[in-house]
Amino acid sequence: MAFRGFGGIATSGLIAAAILWSFATTDVEFSRLLSAGPRIADFFGRMFPPDPTVMAEIKKGSAETLRIAILGTLGAVILSVPLGILASETMVSPAVFRPIRTLLAFIRAIPLILVAMLMVGAVGLGPLPGIIAVAFHATGMLAKFYAEAIDGVSRAPIAALESAGAGPLVRLRYAIWPQMAPVVARDTIFRFELNLRESLILGIVGAGGIGFYIQTYVRSFQYDKAASVTIAVVVMVIAIEAINVALRRRFT
Amino acid sequence: MSTAVEVDDLSFAHTGADLPALERVSFRVSAGESVALLGPSGAGKTTLLALLDGRLQGWSGRVSVLGAPLDPDRPPPSARRPDTGFVFQEFALVERSSVLRNVLNGRLGRMSPLRALLGSPTKHDLEIARTALADCGIADLAERRVDSLSGGQRQRVAIARCLAQEPRLILADEPVSNLDPAHACEILALLTGAARTRGATALFSSHQPDLARRFAQRIIGMRDGRIVFDVPTSELNDDATAELYREVGPIPGIGLRAVS
Repeated sequence: MAFRGFGGIATSGLIAAAILWSFATTDVEFSRLLSAGPRIADFFGRMFPPDPTVMAEIKKGSAETLRIAILGTLGAVILSVPLGILASETMVSPAVFRPIRTLLAFIRAIPLILVAMLMVGAVGLGPLPGIIAVAFHATGMLAKFYAEAIDGVSRAPIAALESAGAGPLVRLRYAIWPQMAPVVARDTIFRFELNLRESLILGIVGAGGIGFYIQTYVRSFQYDKAASVTIAVVVMVIAIEAINVALRRRFT
Repeated sequence: MSTAVEVDDLSFAHTGADLPALERVSFRVSAGESVALLGPSGAGKTTLLALLDGRLQGWSGRVSVLGAPLDPDRPPPSARRPDTGFVFQEFALVERSSVLRNVLNGRLGRMSPLRALLGSPTKHDLEIARTALADCGIADLAERRVDSLSGGQRQRVAIARCLAQEPRLILADEPVSNLDPAHACEILALLTGAARTRGATALFSSHQPDLARRFAQRIIGMRDGRIVFDVPTSELNDDATAELYREVGPIPGIGLRAVS
């Protein structure tokens, strides 16, 4: 029983207060919800049939999104290798890995879209701010994964190489790396998939990619064109996921 | 005869432990000797061997390995480490790497750091690795991945790695406790035989008196971090062995008598 005694009553009270406060201060008009049905029907009606004439834009946009995801992942890998080593208990002392882990948690806490908006402000419109934003945002997770991959390896072979007279970098190369390589491959592919999904919306803030067209067509009420782009996005996500699942299985 | 290991009044406690792991341990092993450390689990055998291998610091006393004193506060310089080879109870192999790669790992301390990092063994390194594989009877497994091998085969790889290191002292921590009796005899025969033909000293631990008797010239009995006896194998009597395993009681089938 989770809710027992005074603590239980206090917890229940807090939850109830939070719900009531949200209702009371948010303008929840049920009449608006009731009229939403016909509007959504109208919206969908205007989306069909999807306009196939936007093929050129779809190709251009998805190619750019793919490039943002690839280069963003590459940037994240380059940043995550040193940061992952510096965040691992196996390689460095607590005085080093603790602050680095805190830094990574801080990076993870910043949403991608926010980083992208800042980058658009800093370097201007186009795919470049998208690439930088993806690289930065993904490093928070990827460096943590790499550190965990290092710390997850069996210690005995490391001790054996130490006993044989191998230095720290040689131990990393021959005792740690062979053990962590499949984990790193799987983590990197997984992060690439997330990068691709997340960068689909970057165009909305002007940071490049296919999201730009969804934004443009919705704003100009060309829902049939927006529908085509949306279908392309869904197909792309499913295809990448299928490819990645097949790829990940190869790393054992 | 020169001395391979010289330990004088050695004491050591693991961080946070109430009882010392080693207490006032003194013994000597001559070069070329084959010596067994015999004792129940927790007697301090693993600790003693790891310490002689330079992997434990913070002890007191005097320890000298292959004529050079160990520093109680820092690991030995890496140039000296290849001279002492270590065979681990759990094999300590890189499971996803090939047998040959694992054996070449034993050469890493003998290569220049740059060559080691670049992963380009010389012809000489390869030749030594191949010889070690052949001596351990696993030349045909060279290209196999370790995770596809049996326990006995794995320990052969581990011994080959140790031999590739060209050690003058071979330390082996319970090298056969994970193997069945038939394989255990084969592996210990291999280990002590390889040490003998190479003129190396062998110090191995075991909790099985029959194996210690069969493969060592001298047996050092340990219990609760202390040395209980240190005798030539021919002089080892059942009472002494039984004393090591006092709480365990008589063990049927290995010729031990109960003591009151």
